[in-house]
Amino acid sequence: MRKFSLFLVLLLAIGGAALAQDAPSIAVMTPFLAQPGTQLMVEGFEAAAADKGWQVNVIDTSEDIAALVSRMEDVALQGVDAIVINVDPTQIEPGLQAAADAGIPVFGLDSGAHPLLATNVTSNGYTMAAETATYVVDRLNGAGNVVMFIFEPYPPVQKRGAIAQAIFDNTPDIHIMDAITPSFDNGPLEGARNAMEAVLLAHPEAGSISAVWAAWDDPALGALQAIEDAGRADEGIVIVGIDATNQARDAIARGSNFEATVAQDFSGMAARVADLVEARLGGMMSAQVNHYVPARLVTQADLVG
Amino acid sequence: MPQLPHMPAFLRRYGTLIGFLAIVLFFWTQRPQTFMTLPNWVNITRQMSILGVVAFTMTIVMVTGDFDLSVGAMASLVGIVAGSAFQSGAGVGEAVALALLVGLAGGALNGLLVAGVGISAFVATLGTLTVFRGLALYTSGGASIYGRVIPAEFSSFGRGAIQLGELRIPNLTLLAALVLALVFVILRFTIVGRRLYAIGGNREAARFGGIRIARLRMLSFVISGLGAAVAGLMLFSRLSTAHPTQGEGLMLQAIAAVFLGMTMNEEAQPNVLGTLVGVLILGVLANGLTQMQIDTYIQQILTGLIIILAVTLSSLSQRGLRAPEWLRRLLSERRTT
Amino acid sequence: MHLKIRRASKAYAGVPALIDAALDLYGGEVLGLVGENGAGKSTLIKLLAGLEAPDSLEARLNGARVTIPDSAAARRLGLRFIHQELAIVPALTVAENLFLNNPLPRLGGVFVNRAALYTLADEALRRLGIEHIDLRQRAALLSPGDAMLVKIASAFIGADEQQPLIYIMDEPSAALNQAEAELLYAVIERLRARGCALLVVTHRLHELFRIAQRVTVMRDGRVVTTQKITETSAEALIQAMTGANASQLPATEQVKTVPPAERPLLRVRGLRTDALVSASFELRAGEIVGVAGLAGAGRSQLLGALMGIDKRRAGGIELASEALQNPAPADCWARGIAYLPEERRSQGLLLGGRVSHNMTLPHLSRFRRWLAMMDRRAEDRRSQQLSHSVQLRATGIQQRLRELSGGNQQKVMFARAILAKPRLVLLDEPTRGVDVGAKRDIYRLIRELAADGAGILLVSSELDELLALCGRILIMRERRLVDEVPTADLDERALLSLMFAGAA
Repeated sequence: MRKFSLFLVLLLAIGGAALAQDAPSIAVMTPFLAQPGTQLMVEGFEAAAADKGWQVNVIDTSEDIAALVSRMEDVALQGVDAIVINVDPTQIEPGLQAAADAGIPVFGLDSGAHPLLATNVTSNGYTMAAETATYVVDRLNGAGNVVMFIFEPYPPVQKRGAIAQAIFDNTPDIHIMDAITPSFDNGPLEGARNAMEAVLLAHPEAGSISAVWAAWDDPALGALQAIEDAGRADEGIVIVGIDATNQARDAIARGSNFEATVAQDFSGMAARVADLVEARLGGMMSAQVNHYVPARLVTQADLVG
Repeated sequence: MPQLPHMPAFLRRYGTLIGFLAIVLFFWTQRPQTFMTLPNWVNITRQMSILGVVAFTMTIVMVTGDFDLSVGAMASLVGIVAGSAFQSGAGVGEAVALALLVGLAGGALNGLLVAGVGISAFVATLGTLTVFRGLALYTSGGASIYGRVIPAEFSSFGRGAIQLGELRIPNLTLLAALVLALVFVILRFTIVGRRLYAIGGNREAARFGGIRIARLRMLSFVISGLGAAVAGLMLFSRLSTAHPTQGEGLMLQAIAAVFLGMTMNEEAQPNVLGTLVGVLILGVLANGLTQMQIDTYIQQILTGLIIILAVTLSSLSQRGLRAPEWLRRLLSERRTT
Repeated sequence: MHLKIRRASKAYAGVPALIDAALDLYGGEVLGLVGENGAGKSTLIKLLAGLEAPDSLEARLNGARVTIPDSAAARRLGLRFIHQELAIVPALTVAENLFLNNPLPRLGGVFVNRAALYTLADEALRRLGIEHIDLRQRAALLSPGDAMLVKIASAFIGADEQQPLIYIMDEPSAALNQAEAELLYAVIERLRARGCALLVVTHRLHELFRIAQRVTVMRDGRVVTTQKITETSAEALIQAMTGANASQLPATEQVKTVPPAERPLLRVRGLRTDALVSASFELRAGEIVGVAGLAGAGRSQLLGALMGIDKRRAGGIELASEALQNPAPADCWARGIAYLPEERRSQGLLLGGRVSHNMTLPHLSRFRRWLAMMDRRAEDRRSQQLSHSVQLRATGIQQRLRELSGGNQQKVMFARAILAKPRLVLLDEPTRGVDVGAKRDIYRLIRELAADGAGILLVSSELDELLALCGRILIMRERRLVDEVPTADLDERALLSLMFAGAA
């Protein structure tokens, strides 16, 4: 009986965490909760939901897509009122189907459009990438060598790389030295740092690298570390990122090579999704596939001033 | 040396099963409307089918006393191989055949390294794990393969089901049941199965007793490679997406399931019915804890603790294994009060 | 200095290994200890070293009562041991191995003082007159003789600085050649001259007459006699080791014997493996041939070579006029060779497995049904019959092997052999650790196998067993088959002196 009772005690202890649920129950599902942007969105949504008196269940599967699909099926059967996802919807179609079969609306939070989504709220990736790419072009006066950090497998980030590349290609004297996909094995920061170290070793002459354009902040921070550790911080290499994480803001504020990033309005997006969910629970449907929330460029002037 | 408090024989052998039933009972009382329903159980079996295939074939390797750490990477690689085949215009039959061939070759490579060259299974399959992962990333360029290149009849298999009266049994569940039956028959009723257990029981005695050890260890790795390939195809079909790392979570969970299953055998041998219970424990925990809206990180902690608890309690009651002094004292004090 | 040992007794699982033994060691004297394998010498040494808990032991050092609960206590009393098994760590250097059982010289209490380590190690080797061993070399590269020298040297670390100690050596010269042994004798003599007390176990009788002042003989766990070396002879020592009452065992019980066939069943020519220097002999069907030799003479290695366990380097094996080319054990079983290894628990049996599964292990393909399915009903039936014919005492064929006594475990091994319908049976110490009743059953089984036409090669350390069962005995020394004698001309004394090369 000992084993039996130990199992029961263990489970009963956590059972206390499960509350009675009269309020609408919303599941927030993502495999990327370790990413700062995702964290900001989820926190923003939780705050908005608290105001509306909803019960929110956050589910993170640590980069395991198959597990995310399984968990979506579970919450669909459990009968939540709505599901908010932050993941590429094309990769979780069986989960979306399970939700659709159960009549549960699914909202994309910076995920991408999909026919099975009620709607998707996001920043306009094209405009964000255009902001930082033109910043680089302006700073270099239209001439120099640029290292890009991109990530093709995730469409919202892939877009950014495509638009930046178009802008650089459209500037005759800007040369793209390398477009690197950082290894995720020890996190993108470490991956980008290692890759940047290699680039620096390959191009030892001062001035041979003019700028680093990163599709999000982690690789920009990794590149900054590599440049500073190599003692090449004074070469005037311009680094830009996107997302304006706290780490990125700190780096920009102290006047390092990291000069600019774009602040997506994560809490704005989260609040917008919350509003859309509320409208839907109230019976209103939205025909719009994507809802765009504006983003803005962040430089040292914005942070110190 | 003071003896451990005596446990009734049936509890020693069925403790894990009782624990499993306790978990089920608990979720049933907590989520009466949704947990103990037919759709939910069909759901759980489909969710666990892929892990099941890997764990069932892994059981064979572990019967001989080895490990195969490369199964998760192999499952990912196989998805990428099949996906690339689709991209270059292959039909479903060709892509599946190619994928299974890759699984067979990978398993043979593991077997060769372990049984032929004589590297420890842990090191050899850790090496091939990295090789397979690298191959998958290299072949795919790090990107997922999805969308229209994947034939509809391929993805519909992973989402389809067979209607049996009221019951819709998912294809994936059926496939896993087939693999389970196959492994069960091999281990329980065939000559090969008996020899595999002999190797795991005492490798030297098996060799001196006329068992061709190298051949059989090789065979067990080939089977586990094939199992990983089947699982990789199932995963690809279910998600309609092949990502170069999407199967990596399978390896640790499969080994955990086999260990849970070993607790249900009086000689602590891997056995496939035990592995099935192990797989179900993992599946029911994930399903039930999600339904109870337990934080997903807490879920991981709980799952790990339950595995450790089950294996600890059963090893305490197994012959030859002694519990640490403090635990024995704790248990015997509990008994007297 | 005087170490006095009285009433030393020890039984393993109820079988006495050492009975009321008494021993005296004096400073400035070498005491030789001799006896057959299993006479209790090693057990006595293990008690002195604190490696085994005695059933009873009275020890007095210079009149004061002492106890030896563990090896640290033995060390504090000034006892130093050179055990039979080579305890060399291959991955460490020679110098590090020398300090394995000695406190390492330190720097600041924590760090190893490497300079001092090498100086002290160098001194230790020099004291033995060894100059050809590189201290910084990995011990893995040492020859067996050099490895033994290193081990011996390690016992003498710091020996000159301290007061005289008591040295106990278990066959220190077994792995040494003559030149290396001379080095050892010189060290022993120097230690004795400094006032140390020494106990030396040896199988080389001529060695005793060179180094020892007194000799103690053990037999069947008891001390038989202790004499001054000048008052005894090799002849007398062998007489004492074998005893007069050895023929009381059931081996002499008569079973009908069939005259062996004329043509040889097994022909072995110049057989060599990494563990066997050379062996040539013939064996006829229906014949029981013994293999005698001291521990380490290569008897088990001969069987290993025949069974395809050790890779054959040279020589030929013919079974019924068919050559066996580097077979695996599986091929040997298939050709009708049955093998009962010396370590039946670690090399023979699946202890967690059932009786029936252990019996049929090499013969599973005989129980094949459609699609490689096991015919478990036939297996059970056959196991049942075999349990009967070997008179197995078990709760049934489903019982786990681990729950059986040693004798019944061995009967399961015999059932396995019988199931092979063997042409050749290789037996390695088949009655070791077996009680008298089971022993009688096993002798009957061996004779029945021979009567059914199998040729039997029997390795045994029990001389009476060899003499009673075998028509011929092969003599092995130093990993070579050196002689072959018919038992008709032999008694235990003669056999033993053949095993001890040239002692008598």
